[in-house]
Amino acid sequence: MSGAGASPQTLDARILAAIGAWHADGSALDDGAFDALALSLYRYQVATNAPFARFAAAAGFAEREPATWRDIPAVPASAFRDAALATFDPSRAELTFHTSGSTGATPGTHFLQRAALYDAALLAGFDRFMLGDGARLRFLNLVPDPRERPHSSLGYMMGRVARERGAGDAAFYLRGDAVDAGALCGDLARAIADGAPVCIAGTAFAFVAVLDALAESRVTFACTPGSRIMETGGFKGRSRVVERGALYAELTHRLGIPGDRIVAEYGMTELTSQWYDAPWSRAAEPRVKTGPPWLRATIVDAEGRAVPHGETGYLRHVDLANRSSVVAVQTEDRGYSAADGFVLLGRDLDAPLRGCSLDAEELVARRG
Amino acid sequence: MPKSSSRGADSGLRELPARRIVAAIGDAAARWTDADYPPRVRATAAIVQRTGYTEPVVDYALDRLFGEVTSASLTAAIEGEIGSLRALDGFVARDARPDAFARGIDGVAIVASDTTIGVALPAVVFALCAKCDVDVRDRSDALLAAFADTLTQERPELGAAVRVHAGIAPEHPRWRAALRDAGVVVAFGGDDALRALRSEAAPDARFVGFGHRTSATYVARESLENDAHARSLAAGTAVDALLYDGDGCLSSHAVFVERGGDVSFERFSHLLEEACAAVAVEFPRGSSAPAGAVLAYRDGARFRAAQGTGGVAWGEGGSYLLVIEPPRHEAPPLLARCLAVYGVDGVEEFTDFVASHAVPLEAVAVADPAAFPDIVAAIAASGAARVARIGALQSPLLAAEHGGVGRITPFVRWVTRDA
Repeated sequence: MSGAGASPQTLDARILAAIGAWHADGSALDDGAFDALALSLYRYQVATNAPFARFAAAAGFAEREPATWRDIPAVPASAFRDAALATFDPSRAELTFHTSGSTGATPGTHFLQRAALYDAALLAGFDRFMLGDGARLRFLNLVPDPRERPHSSLGYMMGRVARERGAGDAAFYLRGDAVDAGALCGDLARAIADGAPVCIAGTAFAFVAVLDALAESRVTFACTPGSRIMETGGFKGRSRVVERGALYAELTHRLGIPGDRIVAEYGMTELTSQWYDAPWSRAAEPRVKTGPPWLRATIVDAEGRAVPHGETGYLRHVDLANRSSVVAVQTEDRGYSAADGFVLLGRDLDAPLRGCSLDAEELVARRG
Repeated sequence: MPKSSSRGADSGLRELPARRIVAAIGDAAARWTDADYPPRVRATAAIVQRTGYTEPVVDYALDRLFGEVTSASLTAAIEGEIGSLRALDGFVARDARPDAFARGIDGVAIVASDTTIGVALPAVVFALCAKCDVDVRDRSDALLAAFADTLTQERPELGAAVRVHAGIAPEHPRWRAALRDAGVVVAFGGDDALRALRSEAAPDARFVGFGHRTSATYVARESLENDAHARSLAAGTAVDALLYDGDGCLSSHAVFVERGGDVSFERFSHLLEEACAAVAVEFPRGSSAPAGAVLAYRDGARFRAAQGTGGVAWGEGGSYLLVIEPPRHEAPPLLARCLAVYGVDGVEEFTDFVASHAVPLEAVAVADPAAFPDIVAAIAASGAARVARIGALQSPLLAAEHGGVGRITPFVRWVTRDA
């Protein structure tokens, strides 16, 4: 089927079918099917997303098409700040997510035409990688409350998961940028008393704030067996950084949740789908990120060329669920290929300026 | 009250006339201007290994550093700031004021937490001119220790007055004691490092902090009078941006070019791209690969260029990144070997930009500082401590103040004698 004339409904149906099949019985998309759908999306997005079409033309695809999904020009994540990357009228978006605007940059915006597509991709991935045992959990969220910050993709994500998969009401403990550790502790104590397992979801920085509060009050919990943690995001722009292994060890110590029940999710506002620590890799380092079959990553060098397997490079994501924006997104995150996924190295490898020059993060910190 | 060290008396430095100290320092530095001087050869290798800068870059830095440390420039700086060298030896008469003696403060601690080549050396030299005892901790420890040896060879009193704390941690008791006992602390580093050092110093110690800052370039339309001159300015701007990989506070990260010159903004941008390509050969990138942030900035610029806004030039292997007309609401790219080029109609656009992003400026390069008084006045008002000539931004003069602070004055305490 040619994608040039494909309607959004047709494309959504194909993507939803792929999601549904994997969600139901683990059916994977083979290379051919992935390639065909990715190229259909490319043609559709070139035809309907003018900023992307101009970008693709400048990347050498004015007169020709990418040969495979690997050749689809990847839009830099920062481009979501510079243009409305949408295949439809953004004013009709069912979901609008803003990026966090790290290092003081203007936030970007990801417009999604159909919430149903986002939800299907989200829940299928979450069910597989966070709720593989079918547990019903109380969701205690150290992320923005979607009622207060409807444009936070993380808030929306956890709100949706809690509503669809949670046992009881979801709770949110982020007040502005501060964590309400007292409220969290109260709810944790109640869950333990009720024998209810919990899922605590939050950013690494929020977990550090919780641990600081618990240490100060000398409190530890023994969460009900089956409890788990979903940690996401990092420390960018934060003055305090804790090494991930130390963070997880402290979470285990303070909350009584085993290390292999602490799962790092890796997502981006610019993507519809999410990566998670592969279940088989959670007991040892390095953890490998894996995702659903409609989400693939390649590792490229500074010039955008694929690097050999196992070599460090920059992550490029191809997310077929990004139907209404751009299918390929280039990041500045580093990683390397591993069996069934990749190892995320983040941006830690980037050496800051070595001398007395101010760098961007210092400038942001000084401006408060 | 910081404790006075007895090391000054031990070193015998206070018994030496300042002119002899200055001469000895100048002679020691002269030895270091010879690229084949064995201690310099060894120090160069150590710096290359530690910093990742290429040997030509390190050689260039050492030539500039030691070439400036002459008895003439030391004398000029000291006389300019305190009137005479003799004021360091004892009381001197002054017009309509009591006699005064610029007595060196006994204990001086100098610390540089960054890897800028030899950043602490001028401070050490002037502290010695003031006859201070100096404790220094610098990541360029091999260089400072070796230079201290050369000073010893010139005058044992000089070497005896300097203690280089090579390779020790900030929390080492010996260093902490030196810091706690110092009457003057001169510190180079980021905000966190300066805060920590300030808290460790004695409450009444004189603290001279040189925090992280950045620099820029301003090209007036009058200086774009012909292609040859524009090409020369572009070459100088490229050196100012790419030398030391843009790591220093005197590295230019943004160029503001006035529109309306005989050479257009677009033409100057093109010349700048050519110049960056040439300078990148002379001063290649250090060993580290371009940071992800640089690539993200490049890719963002490419995306905007595809939309018809601005332009981008990327040197082979990431040897430089030139971004033409990035969005004004974004702060300048404070990234290695990365230069943003903005077209402006007047200097107010430059000062507004600097103010809106609260950019702490160290220096601004212009074509001819004497020729554009209005522009220089605006630059001064923007907070910069130096207006340099394009191409010489990273070659500060020893006879000039540094970072808005005098060279010798931090190290002396005036003693006056009533008539």
